[in-house]
This record gives sequence, C-alpha cells and structure tokens, in this order.
Amino acid sequence: MARVSRDEKRKTIMYRALKLFSKEGFYTTTIPDIAKELGMSVGNFYNYFKSKDILAKEIIKYISAYLGEKLKEINEMPISSKEKIDKIVKIYFETAVNEPEMIEYFLRIYLANREVFKEGCEGMICVSDFVTEIMIFFEEGVRKGELRDQDFFSAFGLFMGYLGGMVFLYGEEVLPQGLESYTEDISLNIYKALKSDEN
Amino acid sequence: MKTKILWFQAVSCNGNVHSFLNYPYIERFLEDFTFVYHPVIEGEFTLEDIVKSYRKIDILLIDGTISRHFKRADKSVTDTISMYALNAKYIVTVGTCATFGGIFKENDSLQGSGFLFLEEKSVEKFSKFRKKVVSLSGCPVHPDVLVNTLYMLKENISLMLDKYKRPKEFFAYTVHNGCTRNEYFEYKIDNHRFGEKEGCMFYDHGCRAPFTHGSCNKILWNEVNSKTRAGQPCFGCTQPDFPGRDLFVTKKNMGIPQYMPFDVQKRAYLTLSGVAKAFKIERLEKRLFDD
Amino acid sequence: MTKKIKIQKLIEKIEGEAKLKFQFDRDKIDFVDIIFPFSREMRTILKHRPAFDALAINPRVCGICGHAHLIATVKALESCYENIQISQKAHILRDLTLSFELIQNHFKWFYLTLLPLLKEKQDVAKAAAISSMMAKAIAILAGQYPHNSYAVVGGVVCDPTYIEIRQIKSILKEAINFFETAMIINGDTYELTTCEKSDLLFTKKGDLPTVLNKIEKNGWLALGKSYDRFIVFGENGYFKRGKSIKTRIQPHILEKFVEEIPNIKSSAKNVTYKNKFYETGALSRAMLLKTPLIKDSHRRYGDSLFSRILARVCESVKLLHHCLTLLDEIDLSEPSYIEPEQKIQTISAEGVSAVEAARGSLIHKVILKDGLIREYQIITPTQWNLSNGTKEYPGIAQKAMIGLKDIALAEFVFKSFDVCSVCTTQ
Repeated sequence: MARVSRDEKRKTIMYRALKLFSKEGFYTTTIPDIAKELGMSVGNFYNYFKSKDILAKEIIKYISAYLGEKLKEINEMPISSKEKIDKIVKIYFETAVNEPEMIEYFLRIYLANREVFKEGCEGMICVSDFVTEIMIFFEEGVRKGELRDQDFFSAFGLFMGYLGGMVFLYGEEVLPQGLESYTEDISLNIYKALKSDEN
Repeated sequence: MKTKILWFQAVSCNGNVHSFLNYPYIERFLEDFTFVYHPVIEGEFTLEDIVKSYRKIDILLIDGTISRHFKRADKSVTDTISMYALNAKYIVTVGTCATFGGIFKENDSLQGSGFLFLEEKSVEKFSKFRKKVVSLSGCPVHPDVLVNTLYMLKENISLMLDKYKRPKEFFAYTVHNGCTRNEYFEYKIDNHRFGEKEGCMFYDHGCRAPFTHGSCNKILWNEVNSKTRAGQPCFGCTQPDFPGRDLFVTKKNMGIPQYMPFDVQKRAYLTLSGVAKAFKIERLEKRLFDD
Repeated sequence: MTKKIKIQKLIEKIEGEAKLKFQFDRDKIDFVDIIFPFSREMRTILKHRPAFDALAINPRVCGICGHAHLIATVKALESCYENIQISQKAHILRDLTLSFELIQNHFKWFYLTLLPLLKEKQDVAKAAAISSMMAKAIAILAGQYPHNSYAVVGGVVCDPTYIEIRQIKSILKEAINFFETAMIINGDTYELTTCEKSDLLFTKKGDLPTVLNKIEKNGWLALGKSYDRFIVFGENGYFKRGKSIKTRIQPHILEKFVEEIPNIKSSAKNVTYKNKFYETGALSRAMLLKTPLIKDSHRRYGDSLFSRILARVCESVKLLHHCLTLLDEIDLSEPSYIEPEQKIQTISAEGVSAVEAARGSLIHKVILKDGLIREYQIITPTQWNLSNGTKEYPGIAQKAMIGLKDIALAEFVFKSFDVCSVCTTQ
C-alpha cells in the first residue's frame, strides 16, 4: 500500500472535519469526534493540528486555496470580464451544490464565529488566496476598460455579498429552483452593476 | 593626454549642462578632459566652427531630443550629429531626451526621438552606431554618472550595459533602493501626506521609484538628498516612457496599483499586501518624533 | 544714398543661441534685429495635461532658472483655487530656494559670461564652486537641483528639521565667505548692502573691482543705456512690485496690461506693458527697492551695463543676508503642506502668477478646465529685455546697442542683459 504524504493526510483530515462540522455543528464537534471519524488516535491527531482553533483556521485557508485555484484558472483565460463573471458565479454555485460544506463553513462558521479566528486570521489573511484572485479579476477588468473604476470593497461587497446571500437562501431551502438555474440572471445583474459606462 | 569631448546639444533645456556644473571636482575633471565645444564652458572652437566642419574629437556627447527640424548654427542637428558620430570613438547620450526622446518628444511637430530609442522602440537612423553608444538617461543626468562614465571610457574599462545601453553600475539599481521611506513601503502603510518625512508615496502619490532604474537614493543628489527622501514622488525620469502623465497620482484600478515594482507579480504583491495590511505596526502609524 | 552694411552674428553660450542682424549706417549701428530661431513649444506640450503635470514639466523649460518656473507654476495653479491656505513656513521655504537659484545664476553669469566679454578667462572653478554650494542648499530642502517639483499646490513637500536649517546657514555663510575672499577681497558684504558710494568699489581688490576697473579704463561706463524704464512683477517678502521711469516709482501695475506680441522675424514673442517696452532684472529690482549702492550707480552712470553688473552682484549679497534672516524667522512647527479643500478635478478657472527669476520678472498664466490645462502662457524676463522692436520703436536691448560702432561691443551690451535663450522661446 502506498504511503500517504503528510500533506495529503492533512487535507483528508480537514475535508472530513469539514463534513462533521457541517452535520453536527462547530462547537458541538470535538477533537475526539473528528479523530474517531478518521480512525486515528487523539494523540496522533494532535501531530497534524495542535488545536481545534488551528484546525479551524487551516480549514478556511484550505477552502480559500481551493476556490482561489479555480478562480485563478478563470482569471488566466483570455475571455472578457463579462464571461469571467459568468464562470465565477457558476464555479461558486457548483461548489455550493457539490461541496456544500465548504461554502457553508465559510458562511456559517468563519463569518459567524469571528472570535475563533481573531488571532492568526487578522484582516483577510486566511482568505487571501481567494481575495487575491478577486482583486486580480477586478484590476484587469478596470484596466481593460470593461469594469467601472470604484472602491475595491464596494465592488467586492456587491459580488460576494450577492453570491453568499444566494447560497444562504439555498441552504435555507427557500429557493424554489436549483441554484444553477439562477446563474444567468445573477451573472447579468453583477455585470450590469460593475461594468464601465463605455460598455 | 586630455580626452577631447564635444558637448553637442539638440533640443535641450540645458538642465544636463547645469547639473554637470555641480560636479564637486570639476577642476580635476578638466585636467583630464578638454571640451572641444561646450554650451557654457569656453572650448577650443565656437559653435559655428564645430558645425561647419569636422573637428577631431574622442567622445561625442549628445544632449537633448534629436529632431531633424531643429537647427544649431543654421544646420540641422541630425547633420552635425551624423558628421561626428562617424568618427567619434564613443557616443554618450546625456539625459533622457537624447536617450529616449524625453520631454521634447511630447511636441509632435518636432518628430523628435533619442539617438537610438524613441521610448522603448529602437530608432533606425543612427542604429549603425549602436556599438559605440552609452546611454545615460536621467532628467537631468546625475553629474557623477556622467563623469564616472567618461572616466571609464577614457580608461577603457569595459562597461556592463543594460538593454538600453545604460551602465549597470548606475542603472541596475532602482530608485527605490535606499529611500528613507522604505519601511512604509515594506509594511504597506498607505497613509502618506505631503509635507511629512514619514510615509511612502507609492500608494497614492504616484511614486515610480520601485519601477525606475537609477541610483538616486544610493549616490544621492548634490551629495545630500533625493526627491523621494525630501517628499516628492519619483517621476521615473530615467525611463523610456518619461514624462508619462498624471504624475502625482498612483494609477489604480479598483484600488489596486496598476504598476508593480520590477518583476514582482501582481498576485505576489497582493498576497503580501493582504498579509501586511492585516497587522498594525504602531511605530509606523505615528510621526517619527512622536512618543 | 548711403550704403547700409548688413552683418549677421551668431551669439552663443546664452543658454542656447540667438542671431543679431546688424544694420550699419556709415560706421554706426543703425538698427539690430534680435532673432531667436526656434521654439520647443512648451505650451503645446502642456495642453490637455492634468494641472499638476505642469509642476514636473515646467522646470524643464530651463536648466538654469527652472526652479523659478516651478514656483511660478505652483503659484499660478494656486491662484485658480477659490480658497487656499499656504503656511508662512511654506512661503518662506519657497522664497529661500527661489533666492538660492537666483544667487547661483548671478555668480555663474559673472564668472562664465562676463569675464570672457572683458577678455578675461572664464573662471569655471569659481562658478562651479558657488553653483554647487547653492544647488546643495536647494537640494537640502527640495531633494535635488536642477529639476525638482518640491512645491505643490498647498505648500511644499519637505519636512525640514533644525539640522537642515543649520546646514543651509553654513552654506550661505560659505557663500558670503567666498564673496569676501574672491569677489571683493577683505570685503564686508554687510557693508556692501548699505553702502552708498559705488565709486568706492574701484579702490578695492578682487574679481568685482577688476571687472569694474576694466570697464572704466575702456571708457565703457556709460555703455548700454536704454530707456531707463524698469518693471518688477514678482513681489515677495523681499522684492517690491511696480514700475520705475528713471527714478519715479509707480507701485501699482497689473498683469492684465502685459501684452505678448508675436514677432514674424523671431520665434520669441515681444512683451510690452501698456504698449511700452520695459527693462526687467536685477537693476529694475534695485531701482524699485531704492538700493543705495545702485541708486548711486544709476545717478552717475544711468541704466548702463555698469549699473546692471553692479546690481546683480549687489543683489546676490543682499539676498544671502536676507536668506539668513529668513532662516531665523522660520517656524518649523507650522505645517509644510495644507491639503486644499477643493479637488483639482473640479477646478475650471484662470490663474496668473509672477515671480522674480534671476533675469527678471517671470509671469505664468494658466486656464484650467475640470483640472486639465486648456492654455498655458509663459512670459520670461528675456522676452522683456530682448523684445525685437522696430527702428522707430526699438526694444530695450536694441536701443542699448544702437549707435555703437563695434559688433564685439554690441555683443557685450547684449549679454549684459543676461540672456536665456531657452526661456525666451520656450
């Protein structure tokens, strides 16, 4: 049997912990619960993550890197900002549907439990992979004249607030249709809000 | 044996001439070099003599944007330059105008350019002299840069030149190296206000130092200071695209600077920025002399 | 019909060149055209640019008086604002650096331009020494010299401490020491500022007395007289504004009566005040200030080149002392820069400014539309002095040359106006 690398083991732990947090709740899930789920001793678990807080932070970085990687692929495509918005919305919604724990973790655990992430996740450093890609998307869009120049946070809030809100509603099972069916309208709304006057 | 220099001007403001006159050891320089013609210092010949027929020189200095429409002593400067470029041992373009076109290329009717370059593009007319050219860009040129280059040429010291023929000894650095405001750049503290010795001008006030080649903050100006140390943004005056536009403003796209320090990827910069901005460094948020 | 001989001479080493086209009637100069061949068209370069770009571009009008252009630019832009506050400290710092450049100009002119005209050798070492001293004083505040943009709308960018002030004081004292060991050996510069007898200088030793004695020996004391009409626009803490017809002073003058007229023969434009030519420069400034030494020289020798030379040297000395006083007056605790309330992009207005550059009054006029430059007009001192008038109505320098028998002498008179070719044509 092939030896699993330390890095891959860490990823597996995070992935499974994510699912547990999602199913049972963040505060109610303990380290022994997670260790048991993975079939490892608590002592061995601590070899990978020194505490639950550290695990929590590493998970958010992991999600950020996962989404960031996907966004980077989109950013590097030679397509227009309008088309990129469409792809970003699709990827975000796909992740929300196929890996619901990831987006849920971000919305319900990261955003909702700031005190856990206070130290070591100051500002946006733990989501920097993701945020950096959004910055790159915006910067290029403005530079090419496709998007309107404005304050970064105004644009960021519009884009991410909108997507986060939709996924939240999806999680509450309020949306009459599947999340993907809203992609077209949502992409258009975002594009129309952000586009430059010349376009 | 004094090396013979011709200081010939095309479309110039004389900034390079007066910058040169600030060289601290000019008397010693004149013991080793002689000006066959100079715009201010009396030389062997008058301007009319120089233009009328070829006089023997070792080094041709060209100062100012080159335009065939511009005349000195009733002769197009390109004709005079051609005459001397052929026989001079070395050709040194003094200042950004003579190197890249500089300020006066902005006047379209002149159709001006530098000797080998118009901004970043190569120019055909004098390209056959490429091998003997050294470019000393700067607006104005720094007197140490000019004098030291001339001495290296005189002593046949081999110069390492960048792609624009600028000596790496001076131009490999960026103007950012040695600025007293570096810490504010390092930690991404973007609260600069004019009139204060604190703060970095890269974020809001258009400082081009991190992407400008030069030694201003290494060898200093007038032996004492530099523009950025004093509190002005660097205008990138040694670079091909000088003067550019909107000079006191940092071009930003959705709050993100458009121009990065040389060879720094935007992703890397943004990630570093994000990390740095998450932390508050008290000392750098305060005035230097405050408690 | 008498034969009129026409001779052309290229005058060089005047921050560029100019052509003098002489017309001789018998053996005297009947008329002379002053032709500047070329303009770099700075006005075109400035058009449509954001207003603050002018702070970077305008020093490049000239390499020897670029700093005067900077100060004139920032003041012209500031005059476009409805409400703007400049601290007294910023005013003083601007006046200091402006004065340093002015002083440097006069010394360079003396050692590099004047000496050869008197068949003496240029003293490059002395010119360079003084030049680098004053350039250093400027750089301590403004970062570098030549070509800085340390004056911005709202004040200055620098934040000096006592250390910078002390450094500058030492430099100014060095410059005074230079004067007292070279220009006038064992001279007392302070005494010179209050002295009323210009003839006393003939009895001293040094570079200045050597020059003055040579002029006297050659019988040139009355050479270079013109209309005896003077004008000064750039009022500040030191210079006084106004015009002086001989010694009669009229302090109220307005920029709106300044007219720039294109000249078909030359790339330089003529300038008049209420349709009259006026001289501007150190002599004019001294006449408006009623500087005792120059008053005396003017009384004896009129608006001759002797008075012009003396006025320049005297002004340098007076300014050195005045700057030392300013350095004591400056309150470093004041802000260097006060952010203007209005944003430049919202400004559509006309502005005008005047500063005293080495050679005389420098006027800048700007028209802004939404923070962009619509029009930019620069009127330089050499345009005043070297206006190319007609035979019936010659310009200042033309009048000074008409009647002379010798081209070399005419060149001397011409250069006694301290010509800056690049400024004149911009």
